[in-house]
Amino acid sequence: MIKISAKNVDVFYGKKQALFNINLDIEENQVTALIGPSGCGKSTFLRCLNRMNDVIDICKVQGEIVINDFNINDKGCDVVRLREKIGMVFQKPNPFPKTLYENISYGPSIHGMAQSKQEMDEIVEISLKKAALWEEVKDRLHEPGTGLSGGQQQRLCIARAISVQPEVILMDEPCSALDPIATAQIEELIDELKKEHTIIIVTHSMAQAARVSQRTGFFHLGELIEHGLTDKIFKNPDNTKTQDYITGRFG
Amino acid sequence: MSEAPHTVKSYEEELKNLNSNIVKMGGFCEEALVKATQAIISRNSDNAETVIKDDEKIDKYETLVEQQVVNLIALRQPMAIDLRETVTALKISSDLERIGDLAKNISKRTLLLNENLPKNLTEALIRVSSNVQKQLKSILDAYLDRSSAMAVNVWEGDEHIDDLTNLCMQEVIKYLKEDEKNLDDGTHLLFVTKNIERIGDHTTNVAEQVYYLVTGEYLEGDRPKGTEPIVTGEK
Ligand SMILES: Nc1ncnc2c1ncn2[C@@H]1O[C@H](COP(=O)(O)OP(=O)(O)OP(=O)(O)O)[C@@H](O)[C@H]1O
Ligand SMILES: [Mg+2]
Repeated sequence: MIKISAKNVDVFYGKKQALFNINLDIEENQVTALIGPSGCGKSTFLRCLNRMNDVIDICKVQGEIVINDFNINDKGCDVVRLREKIGMVFQKPNPFPKTLYENISYGPSIHGMAQSKQEMDEIVEISLKKAALWEEVKDRLHEPGTGLSGGQQQRLCIARAISVQPEVILMDEPCSALDPIATAQIEELIDELKKEHTIIIVTHSMAQAARVSQRTGFFHLGELIEHGLTDKIFKNPDNTKTQDYITGRFG
Repeated sequence: MSEAPHTVKSYEEELKNLNSNIVKMGGFCEEALVKATQAIISRNSDNAETVIKDDEKIDKYETLVEQQVVNLIALRQPMAIDLRETVTALKISSDLERIGDLAKNISKRTLLLNENLPKNLTEALIRVSSNVQKQLKSILDAYLDRSSAMAVNVWEGDEHIDDLTNLCMQEVIKYLKEDEKNLDDGTHLLFVTKNIERIGDHTTNVAEQVYYLVTGEYLEGDRPKGTEPIVTGEK
């Protein structure tokens, strides 16, 4: 089933056009990887999906992003609700300068998701368990989140993202600052999370895209050059630009 | 390889190297089959001994290709066309290695032959062997040219080889029946014929690999089949 459908999406930063007529369907409960050379517009596209480009003054988005049959670029869209549904994890782990517990309870509390302290405790525990971090931190929930290792911080950010039960999780190079073990843990986590969430991940690692995703989209100079089943893209892509990029032949 | 070069030059070199090792290895196999066939026809034991000795070279190339493939996978994590290059090189090299072994086995048997062979029989042998030689040459050219059309041709040509093999088998059986003292030579010749046919089969395997390498798709459908092979005990 299609969860998100981007239709004729153009994005401009001032006069400069960053995305050109992007049409892409994202399947529900699958991992979609977005790949492409630096500056091709992956992050820009990702930010279209939860209207994060709104916060960039000069940025203008045209076209439709349809999520659950609703165009989020419509005037009537409740952006706060939208971002609750579409969570985001960034390249650099960015825990709030607060305790682990507060990092996770923050979202659920502003969305009024817990009626009592006990309910909030549960949300925190479940979120940390889903992010495969609970065992490592359950005795230090009231220490600052910034005191964790990089890999732990990233899993904390994932726990924070999933605490509000988003339908979609956007990840922008979530492993680029992590060692191979932490990377493997995140990849394992992504595999687990896709059962309940739709995941879109931007990555510069071809091997990672091939491992974690079912579908892949290749961007180049603001255009979506090719998209389809990951297996096909990495074994036998249709477009020579795709092939040149994934095989390391780009000039 | 018509693609743009890799940004990492050593990677480019490694793939080229792999490619040229397959081509060289294929060249040795062609030579082995030609010499092994000549050795039977002209009863030239020098040729037969060369084939037996040179099989080592082919084995060495197989090991070399295997090491290169392992290195490529470990260090480069090849994708798309590079992945297909790498994987098919491994598979092709193992078929070529088998071809080398079969040629060697033909030559070992040649050294044990006693009598001069009847003309009909040698002609039948030459016919099947030269067809297999043609197939082998074509598929190595197809590999070099990255030609899926040529690969399909070779693949389809296997049917004809099967037919020629059966004709040759009939000649061997005739020879066997002629005289009891032909029993030893005739038995060797049955194996020789079968070995040539199997070289043809490995050539067909290579054709499948070349097709996959070029197109990224598998050759569809059943393998072409000629007439059913004749069981040696049949009357
Ligand atoms: N805030 C901004 N203001 C102006 N231009 C921007 C802004 N953000 C991105 N751009 C431009 O838009 C284009 C796409 O950038 P984007 O960050 O989406 O690329 P990317 O594919 O995510 O690259 P990377 O892999 O390096 O993260 C680039 O040319 C970039 O310079
Ligand atoms: Mg980016």
